[in-house]
Amino acid sequence: MEAACRLGVELTVASERPSTFQDANPIGLMTIDLADPERAAAQARAFASRHPVAGVVGVDDETAVVAAAIAAGLGVRGNPVAAARAARDKHEQRTRLAAAGVPVPRFALQRVDDDPRLVAARAPYPCVLKPLRLAASRGVIRADTAVEFVTAFERLRRILAGSDVASCGDPARLILVEEFVPGREYALEGLLVDGELRVLALFDKPDPLDGPYFEETIYLTPSRLAADAQRALADCAARAARALGLREGPVHAELRVNAHGPWLIELAARPIGGRCSAALRFGNRGSGFGADVSLEELIIRHAVGMPLPALQREPCASGVMMIPVPRAGVLREVRGVEEARRVPLVEDLAITAYPGQDLVPWPEGSRYPGFIFARGETPEAVDAALRAAHGRLEFVIE
Amino acid sequence: MSVADIRITAEPIDNERCKFVVSEPLYAGGVRRFASREEASGSPLAEAIFAIPGADVAEVIVSGNLVTVVKRSTAPWPTVGKAVGQAVRAALAGDRPAVASQTPGSAGPRSDDDALYERVADLFESQVNPMVARHGGRVELIDVQDAVVMVRMAGGCQGCGMADVTLRQGIEAMLQQHVPDVKGVVDITDHTAGSNPYFSGAKK
Repeated sequence: MEAACRLGVELTVASERPSTFQDANPIGLMTIDLADPERAAAQARAFASRHPVAGVVGVDDETAVVAAAIAAGLGVRGNPVAAARAARDKHEQRTRLAAAGVPVPRFALQRVDDDPRLVAARAPYPCVLKPLRLAASRGVIRADTAVEFVTAFERLRRILAGSDVASCGDPARLILVEEFVPGREYALEGLLVDGELRVLALFDKPDPLDGPYFEETIYLTPSRLAADAQRALADCAARAARALGLREGPVHAELRVNAHGPWLIELAARPIGGRCSAALRFGNRGSGFGADVSLEELIIRHAVGMPLPALQREPCASGVMMIPVPRAGVLREVRGVEEARRVPLVEDLAITAYPGQDLVPWPEGSRYPGFIFARGETPEAVDAALRAAHGRLEFVIE
Repeated sequence: MSVADIRITAEPIDNERCKFVVSEPLYAGGVRRFASREEASGSPLAEAIFAIPGADVAEVIVSGNLVTVVKRSTAPWPTVGKAVGQAVRAALAGDRPAVASQTPGSAGPRSDDDALYERVADLFESQVNPMVARHGGRVELIDVQDAVVMVRMAGGCQGCGMADVTLRQGIEAMLQQHVPDVKGVVDITDHTAGSNPYFSGAKK
């Protein structure tokens, strides 16, 4: 919203549930069927016949497919619908990437009603069980033995049976089992422009993500990886985007690196999740675009065909901590927020969980209770500031 | 009505600003804004609030049953609020109107912000709040300064994942249509304190 406001771009926000203001602002708000991309595209065409549309942006995994359908229907910049669908479904993505020779873990698809003991007998170890469509590593569980596999399988089965997931249909009845790839993990933020991947940022994830659950912690940029290794990661992500058929818009890739080189863990046709984008700023004062261009501004500029600045990230180090869920329970209060904000280099701290909210740890959960942002001269200094700020917080949970 | 029957609820907005909701009407003539003790002269409520020791009051805004107090001191609102409550009860119990009407030719022309405040308040009461009430929300008009509207969201709007959409595509759009003199709208809500957001916030 802010980015569009800064750019002077008029927005129409489309969601699956009507806004209470829709009648008062029918140009700025519309309801579309996000569960049916083709129908959503028809609704958008009808809207655009009265109010011309210059671009469309999806904000998450599901709406990336809808956005592709709408863009195709309107003849504006976007991904092929099939590519967006492939990016959204973990199994289809693995299949296409493997066929194209992109290094991905070995994988197999199972149904939730398969006998987990039989599946466990033929699974590679260590392995990771994943749902096909959930986000933020919800439901992702590592298993090192057959016994752990059965426990993980049954736990994931229960997650998939939840009412909020079961409504996905058949994907909620499938489980992806893939080989665990050891190594440090990285997140790549990029923008596809006419099929070419422009790397916007490479984040280190300094904490080992070895499981059994894969809640994120800290993202730091610039990466401290050697330059040639960074190029290898970027090349791997670019190959993955091509293999999926993606051509335009933001991509967020998770990759691992070990003795065998880079591995593509997952690539999403959307930007880094919500608040974390505040860790990224682009531009420089001499560019004519200013030194404070947000990721969202870049995405909107690209979507509507406005000129793009020189896509250079700000010179300082930046990082974000996704505050971990301390434990299950009802949040009553968060103490120490002001002390945490006063830690040098900390720029912002947002507690997004609200008093009375149920905090649900991973793998059943997927919402972080808050985020801490810091900037400084070095990634090491930013990392230290984030941890220091986190150390000052106390979550009162019942 | 006895003084004991008067109920006053303090709603601190930030360290400088607090809104007081009174169970009795204080001023029915729109908005009165007092920026000094001199301007408050003749309005017992405003006089008493400006006289609160240690508060260093900068401004008093009265409209309907609402009093907004702006202070410069760091004295905590629980302390200052008690004195404001006493001032309200004393003014309502007195034999003069708590807030004097602004007579023609008296202390200068009505400010443009006061006029905008009234128009925005009317819009919020007649259209904006009935709409957000469908989602259990409420939008409070806090002030208008230099034609910029300050709002605070409550209920289902506070902490709602779609609060920005409500602000820009809803409230701001309606202001542009119905009160085009408004130059902008600022949300001063503490969304982290919301306890029943209509839509949860982003996952990541």
